[in-house]
Amino acid sequence: MAEFTLDCLGEACPIPLMKTEKKLEGLAVGDILIVSIDHSCAMKNIPEWARKQGHNVEIDEVDDGEWEVVIEKTK
Amino acid sequence: MPETGQASSGSSIRRSSTSSRRKPKKNQIPLGMLVVVLMVVVGLVQANREPMLGFYWMMGGVFGFILQKSRFCFTASMRDPCITGSTSVTRAVLIAFAITTIMFTAIKFGYASMGLPVPGMSYVTPISFATAAGGILFGIGMVIAGGCASGTLMRVGEGFFMQILSLFFFVVGSLVGAAHFGWWKEKFIIHGPSVFLPDVFGWVGAVVLQLLIIACLYKAAALWEEKKMGGSED
Repeated sequence: MAEFTLDCLGEACPIPLMKTEKKLEGLAVGDILIVSIDHSCAMKNIPEWARKQGHNVEIDEVDDGEWEVVIEKTK
Repeated sequence: MPETGQASSGSSIRRSSTSSRRKPKKNQIPLGMLVVVLMVVVGLVQANREPMLGFYWMMGGVFGFILQKSRFCFTASMRDPCITGSTSVTRAVLIAFAITTIMFTAIKFGYASMGLPVPGMSYVTPISFATAAGGILFGIGMVIAGGCASGTLMRVGEGFFMQILSLFFFVVGSLVGAAHFGWWKEKFIIHGPSVFLPDVFGWVGAVVLQLLIIACLYKAAALWEEKKMGGSED
């Protein structure tokens, strides 16, 4: 049940998504990954991808135009 | 964006440390209202000088708003199938193509049936290997830049700083391209055949054929996602 963060601030699509994909691969089931993004389309495609993979996902707008995507690895 | 604002309230994922820091957000609605009022004023001033300018201004604003809210992204429609296998944006683009096919054919047919010159025929340009080569170059560029023309403009408007760089070189490239276009046109483009589908298949035939092709692509996109991601949910 470890918690990890991934800083993708300032990176455009599809870099945040690909980094998330890679990072999540190395985590254990039950671990939580928090991805910081400020590219609005990553706010759409990271959750979409992660949900389709079956993970639990939440989006948190921490500031105007800045989000944290919280992913709980479930498998 | 349904998640914004109250997203943190119904949290089912338990986080330990990083969730505490939260700045109070500024209310952007008054500023938004001000921008709307300014846009209307500028639009009216423009329309007074030249009616079409006001129309363009309005269309630009509406277009940008829809683009931003829908997250419609031509880049993602071509890119996501390759990197994640998701084709939801691809299918959205195909639906948009189907709708425009019907609408534009209706407009053109309307003019043709009244015996008037069909509008927009200058866009029926020759096809050749130059079309494909240009498409590939544009595709490479838009994936690196993180957006096509409309996408880059929209994200600059959102305040994503890196893409101001994209916009700058987009302008530079367009200028260079425009300056050289005559040469390319004369040497390569003009030699290709130009096809206007209604001339070949008739008005109904052209629409049916185009919609059939779009339907096939849609089906292929759905199957692709199923194969790559193991079943689509929507």
